[in-house]
Amino acid sequence: MLIQIVLIAVLLGALYVTWRRMRQNVITLGETLLWSVLWIGAGVVIALPQTATLVANFFGVGRGSDFVIYASVVTLFVLVFKIFVSMEGLERKLTEMVRRDALRDLPKKEDAG
Amino acid sequence: MRIIAVIPAYNEEKRIGETIRKVRPLVDGVVVVDDGSSDATFDTAMQSGVTVLRHAMNRGQGAGLKTGTEAALQIGADVIVHIDADGQHDPSFIPVLVDPIKRGEADVVMGSRFMGLRPEGIPLSRRLLHRAIKIFNALVMGIPRKLTDPQSGLRAMNSEASRRLDFRQDRMAHCSELLRLITRSDLRWVEVPVKVTYSEDTLAKGNKNLDAVKIAWQLFIGMFSK
Repeated sequence: MLIQIVLIAVLLGALYVTWRRMRQNVITLGETLLWSVLWIGAGVVIALPQTATLVANFFGVGRGSDFVIYASVVTLFVLVFKIFVSMEGLERKLTEMVRRDALRDLPKKEDAG
Repeated sequence: MRIIAVIPAYNEEKRIGETIRKVRPLVDGVVVVDDGSSDATFDTAMQSGVTVLRHAMNRGQGAGLKTGTEAALQIGADVIVHIDADGQHDPSFIPVLVDPIKRGEADVVMGSRFMGLRPEGIPLSRRLLHRAIKIFNALVMGIPRKLTDPQSGLRAMNSEASRRLDFRQDRMAHCSELLRLITRSDLRWVEVPVKVTYSEDTLAKGNKNLDAVKIAWQLFIGMFSK
């Protein structure tokens, strides 16, 4: 099917770029392997959709494509949550800077009010 | 004992002047933190001759309180009083709050709206909100149920307690976070009855009912933040 050919071509491209970046020392070998596993795994699921059903059945989900959707929702949830946490970290750093700026001109141990 | 009142203020040009006038005679110093107001809060506070700090941008009530507390410690406070700028806290209760600390009986004193003195103009929805926060505080935050006021903003603490209570929530959730820190520390804490007056103005600015959800969310995210 056409969609399978297109998606696998895209994944092959991604795999190529991943290893190219490794050779350019942009990413580490560990990262390269992690990404490769992801691309190849996606390629296998696209080329042989029944493998997804196999995994899905293992988790108690009936259909492979349903399993992919569930897994994506969980992954997106985790990613969004991580963004929230990192935003909070940035907000706290911002507050710390605003505070330091506000306290800069404060005299020490002098009369106030 | 040097008592310093910390007043965080955000767009309170109409009320900050009067609040400062009322608070000033009861304490040895006043620190106002203008939390990035877009109105004349900063200038109005400056005119009253107290210490005024300014956040370059709005960071929330909790952030303002913390900045003010650090400032108060820097200028040598022995006792720090947190009080709202909008006039809903009656400053005449400051001596009541400070008294247990002066006598060496407590490190932290929290004003409670629910210990006998009837709050004025408190709507039913707000009461329900307080009840919800109280249940959440007990079950999720582990704050003892014997604490009568889950969201009191009027409190006094000695300098040691101020240094130790390292609250990090910038916005509304600082209240619950502080209660958790206080009740889980070995600091001696006590509640005293205070009276709060709700007006249309302060209600419009204060907690909305949806805020309970926001507070819970802020606390949740805060648990994962350094």
